Amino acid sequence: MDLSNEKVIQMYRTMKRIREFESKAAELFAEGRIPGFVHLYIGEEAVATGVCANLKESDYITSTHRGHGHIIAKGGDLKYMFAELFGKETGYCKGKGGSMHIADADRGILGANGIVGAGHNIAVGAGLSAKYRGTDQVCVCFFGDGSTNQGTFHEALNMASIWKLPVIFVCENNLYGISMHQSRHQAIQDVADRAVAYNIPGVVVDGNDVLAVYEAAKEAIDRARSGQGPTLIECKTYRHRGHFEGDPTIYRDPEEVNEWLQKDPIIRLREFMLDNNLLAEEDIKKIDEEIAAEIEEAIKFAEDSPFPPVEAAVEDIYTDIVEEVRR
Amino acid sequence: MKAIGIIANPASGKDIRRLVSHATVVDNNEKVNIVKRIILSAQGCGVDRVFIMPDTFLIGYKAIEDLKISKELKIDVEILNMKIKGNVMDTIRATKIMEEKGVKCLVVLGGDGTNRAVAKSITTTPLIGVSTGTNNVYPEMLEGTVVGMAAGVVATGACSIDQGCKRDKRIEIFKDGQLIDIALVDCVISRQKYVGSKAIWNIKDIDMVIVSRAHPASIGFSTIVGTSLIVGKDDDFGALIHVNSGNKKVRAPIAAGTIEEIRVDEPRILKLDEAVCFKPTYNGIMALDGEREVPFKVGENIEIKITSHGPYRVIVDRILELAQKNGFFET
Amino acid sequence: MIKTITYSEAIREGMRKRMKEDPNVFILGEDVGEFGGCFGVTGDLIKDFGEERVRDTPISEGAIVGCAVGAAATGLRPIAELMFIDFVTVGMDQLVNQAAKMRYMFGGKIKLPMVVRMPTGAGSRAAAQHSQSLEAWLTHVPGLKVVYPSTPQDAYGLILSAIDDDNPVVFLEHKLLYAMSSEVDLDIDPIPLGLADIKRQGEDVTIIATAKMVHEALAAAEELSKDGIEAEVVDPRTLFPLDKETIFKSIEKTNRVVIATEETKRGSYAGEIAAIIAEECFDYLDAPITRVCCLDTPIPFSPVLEDYVIPASKDIVHAVKKLL
Repeated sequence: MDLSNEKVIQMYRTMKRIREFESKAAELFAEGRIPGFVHLYIGEEAVATGVCANLKESDYITSTHRGHGHIIAKGGDLKYMFAELFGKETGYCKGKGGSMHIADADRGILGANGIVGAGHNIAVGAGLSAKYRGTDQVCVCFFGDGSTNQGTFHEALNMASIWKLPVIFVCENNLYGISMHQSRHQAIQDVADRAVAYNIPGVVVDGNDVLAVYEAAKEAIDRARSGQGPTLIECKTYRHRGHFEGDPTIYRDPEEVNEWLQKDPIIRLREFMLDNNLLAEEDIKKIDEEIAAEIEEAIKFAEDSPFPPVEAAVEDIYTDIVEEVRR
Repeated sequence: MKAIGIIANPASGKDIRRLVSHATVVDNNEKVNIVKRIILSAQGCGVDRVFIMPDTFLIGYKAIEDLKISKELKIDVEILNMKIKGNVMDTIRATKIMEEKGVKCLVVLGGDGTNRAVAKSITTTPLIGVSTGTNNVYPEMLEGTVVGMAAGVVATGACSIDQGCKRDKRIEIFKDGQLIDIALVDCVISRQKYVGSKAIWNIKDIDMVIVSRAHPASIGFSTIVGTSLIVGKDDDFGALIHVNSGNKKVRAPIAAGTIEEIRVDEPRILKLDEAVCFKPTYNGIMALDGEREVPFKVGENIEIKITSHGPYRVIVDRILELAQKNGFFET
Repeated sequence: MIKTITYSEAIREGMRKRMKEDPNVFILGEDVGEFGGCFGVTGDLIKDFGEERVRDTPISEGAIVGCAVGAAATGLRPIAELMFIDFVTVGMDQLVNQAAKMRYMFGGKIKLPMVVRMPTGAGSRAAAQHSQSLEAWLTHVPGLKVVYPSTPQDAYGLILSAIDDDNPVVFLEHKLLYAMSSEVDLDIDPIPLGLADIKRQGEDVTIIATAKMVHEALAAAEELSKDGIEAEVVDPRTLFPLDKETIFKSIEKTNRVVIATEETKRGSYAGEIAAIIAEECFDYLDAPITRVCCLDTPIPFSPVLEDYVIPASKDIVHAVKKLL
């Protein structure tokens, strides 16, 4: 497979941007500067990165409550993301969506989603739309292992299969549906096995190896673009943080957490780049510094931005009706 | 004690070849069923103890639980008390523990990759490889019931192991004179730099293939040799072929559902213990039994040999024939 | 062109017109293709537009609505049919949490031009899971528009507007009206959403009625007329947006109001209309606002029971007489 050094370095940048964004979000949340809930993607960066590195801007993705990584990997702007997390007017959703609903339709990002499993069917609709309009767009549907117990998962795989839609179902199996270990929430170990029931290919890849994810996603996306229909890719990964920030994670064995920390996807790619002389230590340090500066700038943008005027609350429900304001 | 061991790999049969080459999916619940059938038929053929490797899907526990509920389990089945990592090390360690426990036969459910892991640590215990992986050459497609019977014959000493087993060849990889890895069937030298999704299927990156066995009725990279030269499992030689060089073209089934036209030179026979020296001029990776595993760098000192140090393989139909002749099935 | 057609044909002709004009309009739903729809509404459309545009789906209501959401978000104008309104329960997340909220959650940066058609109402001996009137659930959700026509002409004019709308529109169709036929002008302009229609003029009492209850109200008005009571029948046609002005004007004239819908009374949209009148039009009332609705029971199967629980013209007559 052709994978240029530039592409590998680009993927490192993306993973690092996600990691730094999320780490800062954790800090800001802990300091009480971000309201609401945040579900962080730390540890799973290789999945969004490896998959989205194969996508064009016009391709679609659907995301989840743990969606920051997908948005960044699809090209989301950190400034508008932070602004949204802060509830500011300049945010992606003018402060009306927050962490769980960041979307950017111009980049094909059909939204993070607060309902587990809701993206599956929307992805099928986007895939149907691409096929209907005769474009070569594809839609990647990201979801966790937990959502594969929702009916929507089965409905969507079935529909995408019978209509041979250009949808790539990417399961981020991080071993837990909230607090429930996968072995307790489903009678299978590999979500990919479920593909058999819908007559589509189902593969398992190491979700902490961005190159492995890239490779599998490339095959699946090429397949979808050429009209051969959907694929289910299961990426075995792990979230370093709890389900949400503030989750005490009493349900996880510290030893298990520690083992997965050893498999950190960013460290692995870093080592690969050094081993193969793609970059030297100082080059990587420079990239890391650039990203840190970008994050600082994005946070400053968010902090300096105004909150929306309260009257904005009644706008954007419909295209043509503005509800009454409180008097 | 007439004991057997069972190693079932929960990760086999799921890799990217499902996507690139229409390969078979083997779900883990079916592996539980196969283990149940092996236990029951081994039990019916005189085995009194079974050891099973623990794994992340709890294949062994699930099999035992079901057989207890159905009241079919009469013998002692024990899950090894070992901490699992959910990777290939589990198989390597379980093999060692089972040999220490004195199992007389080891049954392995998995693909070429799983059997290769067993081969890394097994000594003289006879092995039955049951294919639940992809594109397998080493393990065979065998019904669990028959496997349990063959394991029973071996474990109970109903016939001579020398007659019913054969020691396989293996491919040994050395770096600076140190043995660093092995393969049972093939070693593919590729220009790809990374392990990625492990499985290997792209011909254009490949430089050289070294095989311990090769046959056109097989599948995978060994067939690049096998379509020109047959190397039997029991022949005392292996072979080497260069890919993307030479003047000959062959068509070979390099993956399930994939016949590729490949430019090659004439295969060269490798005698046992004959060293192939490989001094890479590029950074690349060696795929062992179909999985990208061992990266190498420019200028490293690599040596590859075919040896006769592979595992002792039970020849299932032969051992059952011998058992029949010995009256094993008469009760 | 004026033709005598049924309510269901009127809906079909409206869809046919828009599908001819705009290749982005398509239909999806259970058995809408060759079979022509469970109630025959899509009929022969597949002959004109093929199976890509009149798309049969598996029995997966969540996926039908969700697929419409995804398609609408990416440039198409889907019309989804749910076989019965009762089945929206299965697709409720996609309608309520996705379709209705997406634009708002995304800060107005997306539009969802989609219609979900739902055969509604009792009277077909279909029992509790195929007979409900769930308009209160749907009107309750900001982000949805809800339409409920009572005549073939209204059905035609409103389906055009529903398809043209850039927001998710729930288009309710009363099952017992499907066979009703009347003259329909196929060249009319679309009927704007949020415009009520006075189906009968009267001075003494206002009866606000929806869908099939409009016809029950008209029958009641004829009955009342024999006693010298002239009822005005107001058909909102769209439940949200609601044409309050027409309602208030009528009440200003009659000072009495009866609201007749087929919903179970508790938590009904009739109650919402009553509350709006009480809040904004109280000074014009000479009598309590009265609702005529279904009894608060699941819809029973046995014809004698079903006829007993669902409201009819005699109940409206009775309610009006109590007010005077």
